[in-house]
This record gives sequence, structure tokens and C-alpha cells, in this order.
Amino acid sequence: MFLGKRLEFLWVGFHFPRVKPFLMFGLACWCLAAAAAEPEKSVIQIMTAGQQPVWDAPWRSESVRRGSGTGFVISGKRIMTNAHVVSWARQILVRRYQDPKPYIAQVSFIAHDCDLAILTVGDDSFFEGLEALPLGPLPKVRSTVVTYGYPAGGEQISYTRGVVSRIEVQSYVHIGNRSMLVVQTDAAINPGNSGGPVIQEDQVVGVAFQGAGGLENTGYFIPTRVIQHFLTDIADGTYHGFPQAGVRMVSLQNPAYRKYLRVPSNGGARIDGILNIPSTQAVIKPDDVLLKVGAYDVASDGTVLFEGNRVGASVAFQEAQHGEKVPLHIWRDGAPLQTEVTVYVYQEDKTTGNQYDVLPRYYIHGGLVFTPLSHEYLKTFGRNWSDSANNEIIYELYYRKSESPTTARKEPVVLANVLAHPVNSNVGIKTRALVNRINGKRIEGLEDVVAAFESNTKDQHIIEFLPDNSFECLDRVAAKQAMPEILKSYGVAEDRRL
Amino acid sequence: MNSCWRFVTISFLSCLGVVDGGFELAAAPSSSRLVAGFEKKIVTVEVTGTAYDFFQPWSRSVKSIQKTGVALRPGELLATAEGFPDHTQIRLQKDGRGKWWLGKLKWVDYHSNLAVVDAQDPAFWDDMKAAVLAPKATPAGALHVLKWRSGNLESRRADLTQFTVRDANLSWVNHLNLEIDTELDGPGLGEVLISGDRVLGIVSSKSGNKVLAIPSSFILPVVEANRKGNYRGLGYFDFVWQPGSNPASLQYLGVPVDAKGVLVIDVPSEPGKTPVLKPKDVLLSVDGFDVDTEGDYIDPDYGHLMLENLATRKHWAGDVIKLKIWREGKVMEVGYPLPKVEYSSELVPEGGFDKPPEYVIAGGLIFQPLDMNLLKAWGENWERRVPFRLGYYRNEKKLTDRPSRVVLTQVLPDAYNLGYQESRYLVVDKVNGITVSRLQDLKAALEKPKGGAHLLEFARGDGLQRIVLDASQMAAATQRVLRLYRVSSPQVIH
Repeated sequence: MFLGKRLEFLWVGFHFPRVKPFLMFGLACWCLAAAAAEPEKSVIQIMTAGQQPVWDAPWRSESVRRGSGTGFVISGKRIMTNAHVVSWARQILVRRYQDPKPYIAQVSFIAHDCDLAILTVGDDSFFEGLEALPLGPLPKVRSTVVTYGYPAGGEQISYTRGVVSRIEVQSYVHIGNRSMLVVQTDAAINPGNSGGPVIQEDQVVGVAFQGAGGLENTGYFIPTRVIQHFLTDIADGTYHGFPQAGVRMVSLQNPAYRKYLRVPSNGGARIDGILNIPSTQAVIKPDDVLLKVGAYDVASDGTVLFEGNRVGASVAFQEAQHGEKVPLHIWRDGAPLQTEVTVYVYQEDKTTGNQYDVLPRYYIHGGLVFTPLSHEYLKTFGRNWSDSANNEIIYELYYRKSESPTTARKEPVVLANVLAHPVNSNVGIKTRALVNRINGKRIEGLEDVVAAFESNTKDQHIIEFLPDNSFECLDRVAAKQAMPEILKSYGVAEDRRL
Repeated sequence: MNSCWRFVTISFLSCLGVVDGGFELAAAPSSSRLVAGFEKKIVTVEVTGTAYDFFQPWSRSVKSIQKTGVALRPGELLATAEGFPDHTQIRLQKDGRGKWWLGKLKWVDYHSNLAVVDAQDPAFWDDMKAAVLAPKATPAGALHVLKWRSGNLESRRADLTQFTVRDANLSWVNHLNLEIDTELDGPGLGEVLISGDRVLGIVSSKSGNKVLAIPSSFILPVVEANRKGNYRGLGYFDFVWQPGSNPASLQYLGVPVDAKGVLVIDVPSEPGKTPVLKPKDVLLSVDGFDVDTEGDYIDPDYGHLMLENLATRKHWAGDVIKLKIWREGKVMEVGYPLPKVEYSSELVPEGGFDKPPEYVIAGGLIFQPLDMNLLKAWGENWERRVPFRLGYYRNEKKLTDRPSRVVLTQVLPDAYNLGYQESRYLVVDKVNGITVSRLQDLKAALEKPKGGAHLLEFARGDGLQRIVLDASQMAAATQRVLRLYRVSSPQVIH
């Protein structure tokens, strides 16, 4: 089934260990022998050994995968790279330009929403003689940039030159459910380039991070506006993330609708929907017309003019930090209104995106493995997971919260697996079923599963599933008694990770 | 709708002992002895009709198929119903060659996928012979599939794989099917399955060598009832069940652990009606047949079959079937009136046969009913290709106050609808504050603009929520759009 553009975009190749299905197209390299500032000396090769969990058997891990990427030195003896280069990494090794010695590095900050990370190296000698690369401005469209990195296809540093093709808001594939400012270039950006600097006039103007499968000469880098937001965010020692207003802004170009709302000017985009964010709902109403966000006038197509580029107005909200106020000019009920909205990082849709570095939660009882429903879990169904997952699960994860918040569960739980044992041999529902109730208790989250099982004193456990109210029972005493044997048989160290 | 919780096929009926294990060169036409007499019983049926493009519901094209029919008696050629919807002409050809005779449809029942055709000229029947439908679809010797091909009556050897209970091709009703293995070189449209001199069924679908045929024992009662004019339609079980094979579940329900039967888990509710069954009833027997824990019963003719077959075995819609159930610690018998299979019982209905697709064009916005014809317009693998949220309406239940849905399917660009031209596949909730379930509701609501504007609100989903149109300009815009895009009529509403 077709899940819409946002999810369709997931196939865009990852750079790090996952895969990059498109490879080595037109790897044009130019050696910059006469580069004035020799930025290549500050470009770092990153090698990782990573291990991801198995989301439908959450106590297990996949085999260790080797990956490589690029980073560069920034101020404060830090290395900047992509989050996806070091996600799930068990070991990170870094190497300096033309120096074979590996150094152990650690993740100091990681930001999955904007796909950036900061590494530090315990051995201070690593940074000796290395200059921090300065961050530059947003490059102009048609201007020339050079990417530096260690892409596949060779061992040494590689340089590719291209022009800035366009600047707009696009999906960040690493997290999957966020869109932010990106710069597109025709400079070859290949697996291994990830995290490397894109340089213009000796300044870093971006971090190479993703490509678009099926398209030629199309690479993307994260502009410094996003990088600077990240660096500002972590200045207090904590990364919060990019805030969201949580509004769905749509174009307001039909004369009848403009007349209906009595909007006098040509500008302004209409608010068509608002997420369940109290701070936003207190300030913004459906059918409000956003005339100005922060310093940016909003056009009737929902864009703003951002340093000469017409991009989605969401960038105006994303300039603020978590908890900051964004000034707004609104047209409401036929009159102008100046107000401000406090924007926060939105966490409620975390399970609909890719998740990293936090091991999946689970609980096993009588061999039945329960885990929260998540996008990561659905991916275990295979590459075409949306075809093999049942519609109820997809609806529950991606639609119910926004369509029917009163019936939505905080953390839908699925029966992810059944560890076969005589105690559950007659359980007819095997896996991939959405849990409705256990022992009469409506399941709002994994903790409810635990409580429902552990507080039951009747002879059977009754587990009810959606959508047809099918149910299965387990003998309570037998299920409990079987647990040590089940855990031992399947090599599960703990019956839960909560 | 499928009222069965599980989706398993019935096991191979090896116990019949009547399946011919021999093998004949499948590619070669069989000897004339095998098909003797069938030359005058089997005809080619050509159906020409109107095909619709549901993305442009006003657009029509011509479709034509050739299928196989079998004579039951003068004036009655039996065929599957497929191909007959929206037909404009039927032609019949005897002997696989020569003259085409004009035909006419005597009756068609899309739920059972059966149709009976007659020739317009009675002389057609002069040299025809009647085939005999076997009362029981059990083979008495080798199985063959017959059809006319290039002037010869082609016979393909077939092996019975199993009797199975499946959805009908044009409906969600479950009934008995013969599953056979054959190298039939044809479309799977009514080819005739014979054993000896008897017809055991007609082919309804084909996937590779796997062929499904509607068995004669299912066909005969439908034909007889239509002859007598008292066909009441097929019935079905509207409850959902699950296997009763988990002893702990039986224990929870207080049922002896050695009990048979399946567990009722979902029962549709209708206002003013008390359902016969309740969730957590244990269904022990249906129409006198014991049901095992997998939901099968032992059919006296065909062995293990899924209990859904008992809704169409010797019963019609409206019949009351005796069910033996276990409820609250005791066994009881209840009478279950078989609901009639109706396309309209679903929120997203199948059907819509023999009438052009409905639509309304208003100011360039195209509105259509949300039905299976629309979803299937996405073509092969439509279930994967259709926008998820639109397809998900099949999982939702029909409600009294919302029996169907209307979709804004696309917008024909015009200055009037500027700003909305990329809008598509939005399910309409209200227009001018009036709930819209059918196109008639939409039309009525568009008669009541508010403040000179039409406010269209869409169901919550991943798309646009609201649009506003200038009410005073809509009629002129509609006419302009019709001219520009060469659409003959602004609406088709039945």
C-alpha cells in the first residue's frame, strides 16, 4: 500500500553500514593541490563497529557491522560528523589525514533529528597540529562547493566539486519523520562521505549527509544554519532538539477562501490542522492565517524568503531553540493579531521515526514477547513492510493519534514473538497482533502488560487482541513456572527491559 | 467481508478415493471418446460491454471477452457471471466456428458468479443437447476441462486437488469450490469441468495451473431456484470466530477441555436488533453438523470443509439455521436467521454492476462514491498501490448515520479552483455543515451555501481538512470545466 510521500522517501540510501543501493556514479575527483588553508588536514576518517538490536526479538543483537564515514575538526577539540555515522556504534576509531594511527573516539553529543554528532578523542595528541575548520554562511545557489571525505572506492581522502543546485526543506532520512533545510549539490556524495565537510572559500558551508537513490548527481548537505542551531543547543551540555510548532500550514491561494477569511493582503498561509500540543493550541487556531513567523513574511504558498531562497515556513520555527518564543503575525476573524508561541521539541511521534541508541523495550511472559509498536518493529517485516504489515497496526501507529486522540493509546503494544514452549503451544495467534486487553486491563503501554500479568490471581491469563477481539489464554501457574526454562532455552538473559 | 477469522484452506480430500491418479498428455486434445457429445453442449460466449475508467468516470471504452457456456436445456446456457456487467451485446457460437448468434441474458447473480443466457433466435437450439449437472461434484473417473479453441473442442486433463471454501469472485460470500490442477490454456472463464458424461463445475478463476471451479452441487440449487422464480439470494454468517484449540481458553470459558467447537469473538450489532450470538459463545454445531476446533465440519459429500459452507449448503438467505452453542456454562440451541449477502452491507461496497459509475463535478472538483470499483482502479496489486488511508476505510464499519463515504478524487484545473488543484483522494465529511455520505447529500448540501461560500470539510487523515469555494461562481465554473475537459455531463447519480 502507498503510505504517502513521507514514508516512501525512506528508501533513499543510508550511507553508513546500512546500505547505499546506488553506488559510484560519476565519482569525479579533483585534487586540490593548491588549497590555501589545507582543510584536508582537519578532515577525519571515522571507522566504526556497530551493532543494532533485533526489534522483534529485542533481547538479541544483529551481528557486528563495520562502517566508515567522515568528520572534521571544529572548535574545542571536537569532531563533527553525522549522527548516522556513529549510531549504534560499539567502537569508534578516528584517523587523521595521512596518519595511519587510529585513535579511540567517543560520542559527546548526538542529534538524530538533524543527523549531526560531536565526537571527542581521549588522547589530546590527536588534535595536535589540527586547525578547527570555521563555519561559513549559507552558500548561494549556483556557487561552487567542494566535498571532502573518505567515500568508498579507495582509502585516501577524496574531493569532489559541484555547484549548489538548490536550497529547500526536505526529509532527513536518518530520523525519517523530520524535514529541515537542506542544500542540494551535484558534487558526488557517496557512502563514506557522510559527515564530511562541504567547503567554500576555506569555510565549512555544510555537512554531507544523504543522497537520492535513482537520481544522478544529487547529493545533499546539512547547511550551517542547522549546524549552528545544534551547536547552540548543546552549549548548556544537553541536546534538546529542533522544536516544532505542530501546525499544518497549507497554501491560501484560492480567492474564495481569502475572501471568506477576509484577508486583505496577498500573503499569508492558512492553518489547516494543529497537533495536540497545548502551547500551540493555546495560541494558534484552525483557519488562522500566518502572515509572519519570526522575521519572515509568509507567502500564500506557505513559504518564506530565506536568504534569497523560497523554502517552507517551518524553517522559521526551527530557528528557535526548545522552549523559546517565536513572534507571530496572525490574521484571525477578519483582524490582525500579534502574538507569540512557545515552541518545544515534539516527542509524541518518536515511534513513527527511526530510533537509535536506546535498546527496545520488551516483556516476556509464558513465552509471549510483548514490545511497543514502532516503525522500527514494522521494519522487521522486511523491505516491503507496509505490504506485509496488517492495516490495523499501520493505522494504529501512524494515524490514530492524530485522527482519534481520545481512542489512541499512549504506547500501543504488539505481540512480537512467541517463544515456543508447551505452555503456549496452543496459542493460535502467533505474532504481529495488536494487544487490546490483558486480564481485562486496557493496555496503554508496556508497563500495563507487566502489571496485568503480575497482578492476576485467576487461573488463566486472558490476552485480547485487535481488531476482532480474538483472544488467547495461558494457564497462569504453568506460564510462570515455564519462564526459567523458556529464558534458558532461547538464551534470554532477562524477561524484561522496561 | 469475511466472517471467518482464519484464512486456511481445507485439507486435501484424499479419502474420496475417486480422484483419478492417471496422467494424460495435457497438451494434447483428448480422444473424441472422452468428450463425445459435449460438442453440442458447449458454446463460446462473446460478451461485449462498456468499460469505465474510474479515474475519469465519464469516460467509456469497449471491452470484449470470450468465455465458455454450457447448455442446461433449451433456452439455458450456463456461464459464470464475470464479463456480463455492463454488457451491450452477447453473441454465441456453436461448434467452435461459423455463425455467431445473438444472445440475451436471462438472469445473472453476481454473488454466486452465475449467469444463464439464451439465444435470441430459437433456431439456435435446434441441434443443441443438454448437459447434465452432477448433483454431487465428486469425480467418477478422469476429470477434464473443456472449451472451444480454434474450432476444436479442447480437453485438458485435470487433477482434483481439494474441495475448498473460498470467497466468490465477485462477492465476499464463501462457498464451496473445486480446486484442480490443469494446464488449461484459457482465461478461466466458464470452461467446463466434466467427469464422464456429467458436468462437475465451471471454471471461475485460474492462477498458473491452479484452477478453481464452481461445483455443480452449488450451481444446481441456484439454477433451480431461478427457474422457479423463488431465488432468495445467498446467505452468510456475519459473526467472526477463532479456533477453539487452546485448552486454556476453553477452561477460561468453563467449557470441558475435550469439547469441540470454535469461539465466537465478534458479532455485528444493528440498532434495534439483538444478535443471536454473543462474543465468547462457543459454537459447537451448525445445522446439525458438529464443528471441530479448527472450524471444520465433516460434509457427507466432500469431507472436511470450513463451517462457512453451511450458510450456502441447502440454505438461502432468510433461512433459520440451528446452532448449538456453549454459553455461560450450559449448552443451548439457538436459531440463526441467515442474513442476505448484499453489496450495500459494507462501508466500501463491492458491486455497482450494470450501471455507469456515479460522480459529481462541481467547479472542477470531482466527487465519487468510495467503493471497490474506485479502489480497484489502481490496477493490479491495487491493495498495495491505493493510498493507505483511502484503502483503510475497508476496515471501518458501516454506521447508521454514515452508511457510505464520498471522495474528492481529483480536481480538473480551472481559475475557480486555484489553490486546490493538487487535492485528491480526500474523503468528504461535511459540506456547508451537512454530513455527506452519498453524492445526493453532496448535491443537497451544495444548494445551501453559507455567506456566498461553500465550505467543504474533509475527514481527518493525512490530507487537507478544509476548502472554501465561491458559491456564486460554481455553476459557471462547472460549465467551463465540462467544455474544457470535454465531459458530457456534470454528474451521474443513480
